[in-house]
Amino acid sequence: MRPLRVQKAEKRKKLVSKGIVADIQRNSIHDGPGIRTTVFLKGCPLNCAWCHNPECISFLPQIMYYPEKCIGCGFCEKGCFSGARVMCGKEMSLHEVMKEILLDKDYYGEVGGVTISGGEPFAQRSFLNELIDACKSEDIHTAVETSLIYFDKDIMSKLDLIIADLKIWNNEIHKQFTGVGNSIIKENFKKINELGVPIIARTPVIPEIEQGIREISAFMKELTKVKQYELLPYHPLGNSKRKALGMDEDKFSIPSAEYMKEIEKYVFIR
Amino acid sequence: MRDTKIEHTLAKRKQNGYTDLDDFGTVPISEGYFVEPWYNSENGSFYGYDGMCENFCRVIDAHEPYIDVNEMLCGRWRDMLVNYRGDLHYMPNWLKNNPKTQEFMKTSTTLWSKRWDEGRFPYDELKPLQAKYNITSGIDADAHFACDYRIGFELGFGGFLEKIDYYRKINSDKQAFYDAEERVVKAIIAFIQRHIDKLEQMISTEKNNEIRDNLIEMKTVCENVRYDAPKTFHEVCQWTAFFNCAARIYTRDGAGFQLDGLLYPYYERDVKAGILDDEKAKFLISNLLLIDPHYYQISGVDENDKDMTNHLSYLILEAADSINIAMNLTVRVHDNCDKEFLKKAIFYLLKNKNGWPRFCNDKALSEGYMRNNGIDKKTARERIAVGCNWMCVPGKEFPMNDTVKINVAKVLEEAVKDLRNEKVRSTDRLFELFEKHAKIAVEITAKGINHHLDHVWEVTPELVMNLMMKNTLEQGEDISQCAELYTVGIDGAGLAVVADSFGALQTRVEEEKILTWDEMFEALDNDFENERLRLILNSSPKFCQGGTVSDTWAKKLTALWVSIIKSQPMPKGRQLLPGWFSWSRTIEYGTKVGATPNGRKAGTPISHGANPNPHFRTDGAPTAQANGIATIQCGYGNTAPLQLEFDPKLAADEKGVDIVWKLIETHFKQGGTLININILDGEKLMEANKNPDLYPDLVVRVTGFTAYFASLSPQFRQLVVDRFLEGI
Repeated sequence: MRPLRVQKAEKRKKLVSKGIVADIQRNSIHDGPGIRTTVFLKGCPLNCAWCHNPECISFLPQIMYYPEKCIGCGFCEKGCFSGARVMCGKEMSLHEVMKEILLDKDYYGEVGGVTISGGEPFAQRSFLNELIDACKSEDIHTAVETSLIYFDKDIMSKLDLIIADLKIWNNEIHKQFTGVGNSIIKENFKKINELGVPIIARTPVIPEIEQGIREISAFMKELTKVKQYELLPYHPLGNSKRKALGMDEDKFSIPSAEYMKEIEKYVFIR
Repeated sequence: MRDTKIEHTLAKRKQNGYTDLDDFGTVPISEGYFVEPWYNSENGSFYGYDGMCENFCRVIDAHEPYIDVNEMLCGRWRDMLVNYRGDLHYMPNWLKNNPKTQEFMKTSTTLWSKRWDEGRFPYDELKPLQAKYNITSGIDADAHFACDYRIGFELGFGGFLEKIDYYRKINSDKQAFYDAEERVVKAIIAFIQRHIDKLEQMISTEKNNEIRDNLIEMKTVCENVRYDAPKTFHEVCQWTAFFNCAARIYTRDGAGFQLDGLLYPYYERDVKAGILDDEKAKFLISNLLLIDPHYYQISGVDENDKDMTNHLSYLILEAADSINIAMNLTVRVHDNCDKEFLKKAIFYLLKNKNGWPRFCNDKALSEGYMRNNGIDKKTARERIAVGCNWMCVPGKEFPMNDTVKINVAKVLEEAVKDLRNEKVRSTDRLFELFEKHAKIAVEITAKGINHHLDHVWEVTPELVMNLMMKNTLEQGEDISQCAELYTVGIDGAGLAVVADSFGALQTRVEEEKILTWDEMFEALDNDFENERLRLILNSSPKFCQGGTVSDTWAKKLTALWVSIIKSQPMPKGRQLLPGWFSWSRTIEYGTKVGATPNGRKAGTPISHGANPNPHFRTDGAPTAQANGIATIQCGYGNTAPLQLEFDPKLAADEKGVDIVWKLIETHFKQGGTLININILDGEKLMEANKNPDLYPDLVVRVTGFTAYFASLSPQFRQLVVDRFLEGI
């Protein structure tokens, strides 16, 4: 057995890997079971028209601008302290991310833990892999939220939970609104179903789009590891961030309570 | 009952104006109500056994009986002695606006607003430093201790009279004390008799048989408790209601008790005798909670670590749920407690979103209290949650709890002033200066406490609460003279302002060198005319963000605070206990403090209790707050409460309950002492802030106490909104 001092030094060395992190949200309770910390990794190969986290699409750090907070001091280049110009995305070492994650470790218990979201976490494969290993070595329940545009058996097999979306059933419509076709995503759903890792499947509900929720629900029912299928109503919170990024607002609307009631029958838990 | 309560809340708002106080369960003042006080002092106030007794009798005698045919318990209070002692802070608008009061105030002395008898017990030498450090001295504070209700349940009001009679013969030199106590008890008995008379009158005219039967039962119960000790569950609830009305009329304060523990024998006996079922028990409890939202503790463990949760504990929660008004129920949490019960308590918190119940941590409180001199485990367990942020050993302790505060933001201000003249300016030097001023502040506070304890029996003896304290009637002395325990709390207010100020100076001035010390002093002097300078300081790492410099400073400040308070010598076996708490005076304390180095502008509110400054994290994470507050516990049995306001968007289901339970359990494992949670509907809160009258039933936990949002002053409503954490 190596001395504890050496083990610690090796552990620290392992934590030098870096990732581009958009945000770390503590006390997150809607991204998996229990109390969790959600790490948002920046960058996504998809470009969904309704994206709730548009700041996580680009892989590069971006300045988000909130003019209502600007005090007009004229010293932008010396640093903005008003919150008007905020840098989204910073390079963080594994050590830095773990330090933040461990702050709430006592609150995770057996149920809660860490959810790595994005963006598409698998787009930063190497960092993701090390982050998952670091969490597992701390006995932290670890989940990933993914678009399933990638399949990575090695990494996915280590997870305690995979939260994945199938946004639109029709391949062409999917391509039209997300920038990519969905056949690979459907294939990947079938593949992760073989891994033995529990899955929560989700579909964001966008009233303006013919999503084929009935078909998606039926597809998910066939997959035995899908423990839950959820419908998440579109919300416009992404628009304030789009504005801050200098992007145009999306034109989607919040689904009505009647519509959500109507499609509620496709939701399941098992 | 709930509808009547809502009506009363709106009517009281009209009569009293806005308030930042507890609801207290009062009912609106009736038409024509007037009391002419009797003043026995040249300074236009009343003091001592005779003054307090005479005026108590006048006020309680003026109280009409309160009987609602839809209830099972009678008696309510409307007015209190302190209203006539010139304290404009408490004086309600209905009294200020009464022409007779106005006339009286004109003709009376200009010193009318003196509460403490400064003619006989001056403390002018303490005042300059009390003002310098914005110390709430506790001098002339009333009550803030807890009765042992078992004494009253055993004796009844007649038993009190017999006890007084017995001991007045032994202590022949204490006749003034016994005379006053006897008149007080007789006035309470007369108050009960007026209810009996009114009930008789109502019975004679009531046509509805069901209502008539109820009135007859109420009358029998009142007759049984008028003189004798209560024997049934109904009687013990009614007895408590009458005693609480009297205690509130006397001092507005007083405290509750271990509700499930003390009432259980009556419940069990009556159920066995077939005269009580759970529905009736629940109705009586909800009626009691309606009459007075005292701080009652439920659950917890006894001195042998045995769970005290019983069936009545569950019924109390169900009763509280059925009425769902402003309530101050505290659930005591221990590893051995019935987990199902704790989860049920959380379920109601989530379901009703009305700020009840709250939770206290047995382990941290008991073990902390035992670190004081001469406290054994049994005594520590008896010390229950019966106040806003405070605990008390019923019947034995006179702690002046929650009445003594030092505004540490003001202490910091003095230290910063001194730093300007230093050759070497650094946060380390500032900390030394802070220590110097904090020591002076604690010393002067201790002198004030001793002044109060030495003389309060001659100023405002506790004639009602004395009836259920140990040694009082036996020795012919006020509880302030003969308590078994004087473990007196001193709370620091404004910790986050101070910690963040140290953190901002270390980060922006010392490490990053974005600002010089002189630029910072200038910015404070001109109250941040340059907004950018303010934001540079204000955006530095804050207390509760987790692992920040300000978190480290908060811990260092706490260690200093504890060490100064615990090393302050006290006479006569008195001990000081440190805590962090601001009560609801954050606005008032803020007005006394100039701009601070954390980017806080002059005169704006200081931080609340042990909480971080508002907007300390963009995600407002309750876990971050809970982690931070767990690290600044003072550790001697008094609290540094975690005050949470959030909209978790969680349903009152298994997942929601488990998440909140995990938050509570973990904070307590980390050493937290008390959690006040407001689970709020964010949209409703924002709407109610715009138009409070549309939401007369919205209850928020202001600090330790709950209050109707509609009754709070606009400034205070805004503070609650600012503290509110979006999302969980």
